[in-house]
Amino acid sequence: MKISLFHYFVRQALANILDNRLVHLVGVGTMAIAFLIFDTFVLAFVNLNHWTVEWGRPLTMSIYFKGTPEKTVLESIEKELLHFPGVTVKRFISKDDAMGTLRRQLGDKAGLLDGLEENPLPASLEIILSRDKAGDSLPYQVKRKLESIESVDEVHYSQEWIERFQAIMEVTKLIGIVFGGLLFLAALFVITNTIKLTIYSRKDEIEILKLVGATNRFVKIPFLIEGSIQGFLGGSLALIILFLVYITAITRVDLRFGFASLDIIFLSPQFTLFLLLMSIIIGFIGSTVSLGRFFRI
Amino acid sequence: MIQLFNVYKSFGSKNPALIDVSLTVNKGDFVFITGSSGAGKTTLLKIIFCAEKPSSGHALVNGRNLNRINDRELALLRRRIGVVFQDFKLLPRRNVFENVALALEIMGFPLSLIRKKVHQTLRYLGLANKEGYYPPQLSGGEQQRVAIARAIINNPLILLADEPTGNLDPDLTMEIMALLKEIHIRGTTVIVATHSQELLKDTRRRIVTLSKGRIV
Repeated sequence: MKISLFHYFVRQALANILDNRLVHLVGVGTMAIAFLIFDTFVLAFVNLNHWTVEWGRPLTMSIYFKGTPEKTVLESIEKELLHFPGVTVKRFISKDDAMGTLRRQLGDKAGLLDGLEENPLPASLEIILSRDKAGDSLPYQVKRKLESIESVDEVHYSQEWIERFQAIMEVTKLIGIVFGGLLFLAALFVITNTIKLTIYSRKDEIEILKLVGATNRFVKIPFLIEGSIQGFLGGSLALIILFLVYITAITRVDLRFGFASLDIIFLSPQFTLFLLLMSIIIGFIGSTVSLGRFFRI
Repeated sequence: MIQLFNVYKSFGSKNPALIDVSLTVNKGDFVFITGSSGAGKTTLLKIIFCAEKPSSGHALVNGRNLNRINDRELALLRRRIGVVFQDFKLLPRRNVFENVALALEIMGFPLSLIRKKVHQTLRYLGLANKEGYYPPQLSGGEQQRVAIARAIINNPLILLADEPTGNLDPDLTMEIMALLKEIHIRGTTVIVATHSQELLKDTRRRIVTLSKGRIV
């Protein structure tokens, strides 16, 4: 493409936007709303995913012994655990420690325990598994190994809860993809029609351009640039609004509850850039679809 | 230059717009197409610049069969045909300079050359002081001259004018006709569609008369 033509297209696109300020303003506003709904959904989904990863990361496992284990047994277990990456021993809880903890938890009602002839609570060893290092199969492997040790009575970890949560997350992800896809299509539909309005308001201009010998490409390119600019502006506006709402919401939550433990994160710079790029692409696709329809008229 | 063979054009209504029209216009001709309102003058011009395709028959312009022309070839052909429309078809939100420059911009000429050619053409048509004006700010005659400027700026082989004096008073009519004659003298094939008998009086040019879509 000749440089003078490229300059013409960009100049024309900008001039058209200025000439049709109101139509473009409505277009950008509509796009911003469509993108905002989509971006909000993406932000919610990103946070949900973030929480799953955060909560699911450290995994505590308790190994209950038959009676009080010998020091050598504990040492051999620790040695055995060295074979598994990402496994660290947190602490050993003796029968007395376990009883002490129970007494503290019962508080005023701790006297109930006085009637016991002997301490029924087992000694245990708490270990932490990092799933970052070994993946989902690590807990199963560790559990199976430990249960094969003679002095080990039982091995417990929050397997059931995590599995359920993971299953829920899988379903949520699936719903997210479907719902996100539908939102994407809805946004594309709204944007396409908005751009179509912009184009329709200038059908006389298109007709004249074609009558004086403009090729279809020549007529279409400024519209495609306009659509992309509209997409960029609409996408930027949506992200700015989303960020302001995020900041306000975070501050309110902190003020009300006095902590920021909800740990709501915003979209990463890469993700923000991706959404912005997608807005431009949607603007471009919207223009292409609208022009296709228009040129068939 | 222009050859029509048994062209028939119908828009689906009971009365066809053109019936069995055969016509040859040679390079450098000046032809009037006349007839009453609804006789098919505008449709005939539209067939020539391919705004409409014949329902049957063939139309050849500058060696191109318009029945078999693709979008790109059509655009390139239209650059060789200047058209002056009865309603001018100027872009109201572009000024005189921009309206005339349009025909060169689509061809990708550099801005400096566009400026030079537009200034020359506007001066030739007596519009040098109207460059920055917008069409609604101009009189009918001035708008018509802008439309002519746009039609001739890239030295077309053919100039088609549809009722170029239809909205003008007698003085301006003579002025526009003098302009078209001058363009013809410079080598352009000119076809003027008009229903004005006044315009045809005393002319020695070729006259093609249409009546109810047929050449009579």
